[in-house]
Amino acid sequence: MKWSTLAIPVLVAVLLVYALVKKVNVYKAFIEGVGESLRSLVSLLPYLAAMLTAISLLKGSGALSFFTGLISPIAEKVGVKAPLVPLIALRPFSGSGALAMLKEILSEYGADSPVGREASVIVGSTETVFYTVSVYFGAVGVTKTRQAVPAAIISGLVGTAVGLVLA
Amino acid sequence: MYAYFSGMMNWVFVILTAIGLAVFAAKGDGEGAMTALAEGTGGALQLTLELAGPFMLWSGLFKVAEKAGLTESLSRLMRKPLSLLMPDLGDAAAPVSLNLAANFFGLGNAATPFGIEAVRRLDRGDGRASDSMAMFIALNASAVELLPTSVIAVRAACGSADPYGIVVPTFIASLAAAFAAVVSAKLLGKVIK
Repeated sequence: MKWSTLAIPVLVAVLLVYALVKKVNVYKAFIEGVGESLRSLVSLLPYLAAMLTAISLLKGSGALSFFTGLISPIAEKVGVKAPLVPLIALRPFSGSGALAMLKEILSEYGADSPVGREASVIVGSTETVFYTVSVYFGAVGVTKTRQAVPAAIISGLVGTAVGLVLA
Repeated sequence: MYAYFSGMMNWVFVILTAIGLAVFAAKGDGEGAMTALAEGTGGALQLTLELAGPFMLWSGLFKVAEKAGLTESLSRLMRKPLSLLMPDLGDAAAPVSLNLAANFFGLGNAATPFGIEAVRRLDRGDGRASDSMAMFIALNASAVELLPTSVIAVRAACGSADPYGIVVPTFIASLAAAFAAVVSAKLLGKVIK
């Protein structure tokens, strides 16, 4: 997809000029946005530290490859490559965990390998389903969640399947 | 409000960590366990630094888009189609569309407060999810995002020749996920009372 490398500079240029026409102080807005992102990065770090500690122990001890070996014959029957199995299992629970797992996969197999592309698309096209559901229902104290959880899980499975096909 | 979730993650974290440590112990490899522990937190710092560059860039640009009124025009555009999905949308229309717009532009942190306001306005105080609330939450669990900036950052950090090459398939897959969320929330809503 070489055109995407051209589309982004063009889109950014259009955005900046449009904002200028709309009398936005582009410079000030950019700095404000970057400042906010730093705060999010700092609050993300502890979550990444916890998840990477767990993943690093599972990987280093060989427990992860044992689990992957156990699941992979079944997974490969439905077209899921073995290294993707732990990623798909972790994705609905933890965004930072999935990101950490993605990095492991990309550094081991290469970012542009088929597995690397599939892993990237899966992480990008799915959400932390259980996190989202618990934050929102938790906020209003709704306990009869009805179709929300199964619908969210089906949506995650469809996103993963379509991602695997398109990657 | 994060109580449900942090309770669940508590278990996930302890079980995963304990399994890893137990396997190390069974092998008698204490040194390996210490190395793995150090790599975990050190790796987190390194990953944060790798994420930082692209994340700062896109957050800056998204703020420019927000100030130029682009997120607001998007939410106005979405109001009509949204009320088709959520019949009893009512005064939740504004936070619902702002939440989905923020998610679309990859501003997850900005999206959450709008999302919480949206479920508050959709809530009828009976402890039960209405069809509209279930639809909103199912939609939120399917990430329709214009630019998956963190994935792009990790790809760039891992030496990809084309870090943006996954943008189009990712977008299409996330649209499919959203479509599946809508259809299954509508259909299952008739079955699960």
